[in-house]
Amino acid sequence: MFPASKTKRSAHAVLPDEDLMELARDGDARAFEVIFDRHSGPAFSLAYRMCGRRAIAEDVVQEAFMSLWRSSARYEPGRGSVRSWVLSATHNREIVKDNKNVGDDSIAERLEAAERTDVEVERRDEATRVRGALKGLPADQQQVIELAYFGGFTHTEISEMLALPAGTVKGRMRLGMSKLRVALSDPAGALT
Amino acid sequence: MSEGPMSEIHDCGGEAAAYVLGALAPDEVQEFHRHLASCSICQDEVQSLKLLSDALPLAAPQFAAPKTLRKRVMADVRADAKARQPVRAQWRPSFSISIAGPALAGAMAVALVAVIALNGNTPTTRVINASVGYASLRVTDNHGELIVKDLTQPSAGHIYEVWLKRGSAAPSPTKALFSTTSAGQGDVDVPGSLHNVSEVLVTEQPADQTQVPTGAPLIVTKLT
Repeated sequence: MFPASKTKRSAHAVLPDEDLMELARDGDARAFEVIFDRHSGPAFSLAYRMCGRRAIAEDVVQEAFMSLWRSSARYEPGRGSVRSWVLSATHNREIVKDNKNVGDDSIAERLEAAERTDVEVERRDEATRVRGALKGLPADQQQVIELAYFGGFTHTEISEMLALPAGTVKGRMRLGMSKLRVALSDPAGALT
Repeated sequence: MSEGPMSEIHDCGGEAAAYVLGALAPDEVQEFHRHLASCSICQDEVQSLKLLSDALPLAAPQFAAPKTLRKRVMADVRADAKARQPVRAQWRPSFSISIAGPALAGAMAVALVAVIALNGNTPTTRVINASVGYASLRVTDNHGELIVKDLTQPSAGHIYEVWLKRGSAAPSPTKALFSTTSAGQGDVDVPGSLHNVSEVLVTEQPADQTQVPTGAPLIVTKLT
């Protein structure tokens, strides 16, 4: 027989995010723990990809989840998934953008690969598909999307960096995003 | 279609992609929010591109969050849950709640009022912390400035609006419409005098419905 706390956590584990957020709104820390376990991996991976430094990535994810916890009373499922909220909060943290990962391969800090649970495997399959779609874009479109989304650069900074007119950069973003949308909704769709 | 005049000078679509990617500068974001409120083309574009927001992070190499991070977050959450449980129960804001209710009286008790300056002709400034939401109201000579934090940006086609409540009358709308930065911060002047105002409220409104509150207030700051 499981201890009571473990049984409760198991019961929480089968609930959808929306129900867990309802419980979190009432101060149920165990419900929020399940939310953390479900979405902290992608959030941490995003933050780490953006800044390349584990300590900063951890701080960013901690802030994002604490902000979600404090905002739980205002969470409305109709306005987006919990994952969207967490990833958006992670992506928008100024500290990540102020510590851009400039692609320095000499970064000594490395993370150990995560243990592969079923959920992890599923996430990695999905990740492989998204990476494939991104890599399938024309190089110039992939470049501006990666610089903007993962690099945290504005379109103005990118246009200066690449010596391109701002309109060209925004045009490439628009084209690339449109193609990504098609590719991810229809994997067989052409990326050409 | 409710396309506004700004769409004629806006790069609809191009701006939307840059916005979703987080590639607009803060002032451009503010401008785009104003445009977005009246441009159905950009609203549709942002909505469809936002689906990619869930997918793009997965293009990064995937790791599990460190266990030390999990411990830190959950320790903070548990401590916060313990500290705020009584206050949390008092929230659940709704315009239908009676102002004189004992729960709100309790919330008023925790509102912090600080006198910052009182010196001859120097105006007195009071800083009042919100009893609901994370915000503070700076009141000087009956004029207010609302500073908000941890308030996520409004959803597409929506905007935050400041309302003034006087006594038991229904909240009246103001022209103070605002958004927040990507870090959840915002700063807005409260129009007019705060004389006889009992509460300054903030709701999220559809951009074309700013005369009647459409939801419960996200921020409540009590002056009396």
